[in-house]
Amino acid sequence: MSPTDFTSIDQVEAALTERRYIPDRALATTVFLALRLGKPIFLEGEPGVGKTELAKVLADTLDTELIRLQCYEGLDMHTALYEWNYPRQMLEVRLQEARGIDKERIGADIFSEDYLLERPLLKAIRHSGSKPPVLLIDEIDRSDEEFEAFLLEVLSDFQVSIPEIGTITAHQVPVVVLTSNRTRELHDALKRRCLYHWIDYPDVQKEIEIVAARLPGIEDDLARQLAFFMQRVRGEDLYKRPGIAETIDWAGALLALGTSELDAGTVDATLGCILKYKGDIEKLQTAGLEKLVDEARDAQAFAESPTTR
Amino acid sequence: MAQGQPTLFRHALGFMDALRAAGLPADPAGAIDFCAGLQQIDIANAADFHAAARTTLMHRKEDLAHFDEVFREYWLGQRRPRNRLGEQDDSEVQGQEAQPSPEEEPEERSGPEKDDRQATYGTEQILRHKDLATLTDADIEKARRLIRRFVAEFATLRSRRHRASRRGRLLDFRRMLRRSAARGSELAELHFRQRQIKKTRLMLLCDVSGSMERYSRFLLEFIYALRRELPDTEVAVFATRMTVITDLLSARSVAQSLREVAHRAGDWGSGTDIGGCLRDFNDRYARDMLTSDTVVVLLSDGWDRGDAQLMRDEIAHLRRRAHQIIWLNPLLGNIDYEPLTRGMLTALPHLDHFLPAHNLESLARLARTLRTALR
Repeated sequence: MSPTDFTSIDQVEAALTERRYIPDRALATTVFLALRLGKPIFLEGEPGVGKTELAKVLADTLDTELIRLQCYEGLDMHTALYEWNYPRQMLEVRLQEARGIDKERIGADIFSEDYLLERPLLKAIRHSGSKPPVLLIDEIDRSDEEFEAFLLEVLSDFQVSIPEIGTITAHQVPVVVLTSNRTRELHDALKRRCLYHWIDYPDVQKEIEIVAARLPGIEDDLARQLAFFMQRVRGEDLYKRPGIAETIDWAGALLALGTSELDAGTVDATLGCILKYKGDIEKLQTAGLEKLVDEARDAQAFAESPTTR
Repeated sequence: MAQGQPTLFRHALGFMDALRAAGLPADPAGAIDFCAGLQQIDIANAADFHAAARTTLMHRKEDLAHFDEVFREYWLGQRRPRNRLGEQDDSEVQGQEAQPSPEEEPEERSGPEKDDRQATYGTEQILRHKDLATLTDADIEKARRLIRRFVAEFATLRSRRHRASRRGRLLDFRRMLRRSAARGSELAELHFRQRQIKKTRLMLLCDVSGSMERYSRFLLEFIYALRRELPDTEVAVFATRMTVITDLLSARSVAQSLREVAHRAGDWGSGTDIGGCLRDFNDRYARDMLTSDTVVVLLSDGWDRGDAQLMRDEIAHLRRRAHQIIWLNPLLGNIDYEPLTRGMLTALPHLDHFLPAHNLESLARLARTLRTALR
C-alpha cells in the first residue's frame, strides 16, 4: 500500500493491528494525518513503549524499505548524509596515471556519484523504488543541537546539496518517523515541522491485547495477570519503569518456562526481564512480590467477573 | 461539508486564539496543518477531532493536559453550542472534566516567577529579604581572578565534533585530497582533524539556607564570575525550594539584581531540604536546563533537615542527566570536618568531585584539581 492510499483512520488502525502493532486511536490518527499531509511523525515516550517498532511496522505495512538513522552525540553530516570514498578516489587517480591519461584529465571524474558513499539521509532522498521509504531517525534526543539544525534543513525540503555534484531532490517525500526518549528537550522549530504524539504506557486492556497479539501462544489468564502485574509495577516509584517491550520479553520468558500462572517464585526468578536496575529490583522485592502477585491475580479475577460486584 | 467549512475554520482560528490566551503555543504552521487535517478526518467523531488537533498543534508532553482543558472548554464547553461535536461523547468528556487529573495542577506550567506559594518547610522558614548588596570584602579582586581560573578549566572540555586543524592525530582526507588535486594528486601535505574545544555549560545550584549565610558573599562573587566567563551558565538557589534566578543576573546593576534575587528567593536564610529541592529541580527544570555536557556545580555545606534517602536518589538522577556533578563544600576546608551529615554520606558515591571552597587557597586548589580531573 502506498502512503496516500489510506483513506481513513480505521484503515490505518486495521493495517497496523494486522501486523500485530496495537495503536491507540490517537496514534492511528497521527499516522493517518502524517501520511495524508506528508508530514514527519514525532514520537515521544518512555523507553520501550513501541516508538521504534511503529516505524518498522509502518515500513512493513507500506511494503517499503526502512532506512534507519541511529542518533548519537557527535553524529555529523558525514555519517548521516554522505561521505566520499577517499581510498577509492586515490586509487583511481593512481590508475589513471598508470594508464597514461592526459594530465589535465586525471582525477576529473572522481567527484561523481560513483565515489559517493551514501549514508541514511541521502539514501532516503535518493531512494528510487516505486514507493517512498520509511526513514526512521531514532533517538534524536541523543544527537546534538548542530545536527538538529541540519536535520531541520533536510526535513523542510527533502533536498541536499553536495557541492561537487549539485542539488539532489527526493522524487518522493519519505515517510519520516522521529523518536525521542526525552533525555533533552528538542528545539521547537524541528517539532513544529512534525505531527507530535506522546506514547503513554498502555492501559491494562491494551496491554493484554498487545501481549496476545505478539505472543499468540500465551494463555489468556497469564496475559491478564501479566498486564495487571505490570500496571502495579509501574505504579511503584522506580528509577526505570518497564515499558511494553519488557512485558513482551517477560511474557516470552514465562512461556519458555512453561508457566501458566504467576507466582512469587517465578516472578522473582524472572524479574530481570522487566527491571534493569539493581536498585529497582530490590525496591520491588522489599515491597513484597507475593503481595503484588496476589493483587494482580485478584484484579484479574475481579475484572473477569464484573457482574459479581 | 463544503458549506460548513468557512464556519469550521473560523472556529478553528478562534480556537487558536483560545490556546494563545491560555499560554500555549499555537503557531500558524500548526494551524495550517490542523485545518488541512480536518479535511482528512471525520470531524463528527469527537475523539478523532481531538486527536487531530492535538497532534498538529502541540509539541510538548507538558502542554498536553493543559491543551485538553482548553479544548474541552472551547469545543465542548458553555461558550460553544453543544451540538458541534457528537453528543454522546460530549457528556462523557464533561464527566471527566469534573475530576481534574493531578497533572493539571498549574504548578507544572508556572515559571519560577509565578511561583509565589509559600514554602512550608520547618520552623526555620523565615521570609527575610536582605540587602545583600551592602556586603564588602577587601580580597574580592583576588577571589575573582581565582574564580576565573577555575572557570577556565571548565571552558576547555573537548567536543566530539572535529574540525580542521594544523596538528592532530586524525587525518582529514577530505582536505588532503582536495589540496593534492591541485598539485597533480600527490599527497604531499598532511591535514588533520581535531576535536574542537567547546564551552561547557554550567548549572549552578546554590544553597542559601541559614547555615550557608556566612559564605553568601563568596557565593555571589562566584556566581558573577561564572556568568562572566560562561554566559550560558544557569543559576538556581535553594533552601526549602528551588528558585531559578538566571534571568535576574543579567540586570544592569549588581545591587539591583541582588535585591531581586533576595526578593524572589523567599526562603533565603531558612532551613534546608536538599533532597526535596533537588527533586523539584529534577522534575521541573532538569529537562530544559541540563544537557549531557552540562557540569552541575552544587554549592552547599550539606547540612540537611530532609530525607537522606531522597537526597541520594535525586543526586543519582541528577548525575545521570548531567556530564558531571561537583559539590563544593565550604565546611570541607575545616580539618576537623568529616562529611558526617546523613545526606552528605549517602550522596558521596554519586559525586564526581567533592571539594572544599572556604577560602582563596582552596579556590586555587580547586582550579588545579579540575585541570587534571576534567580531561
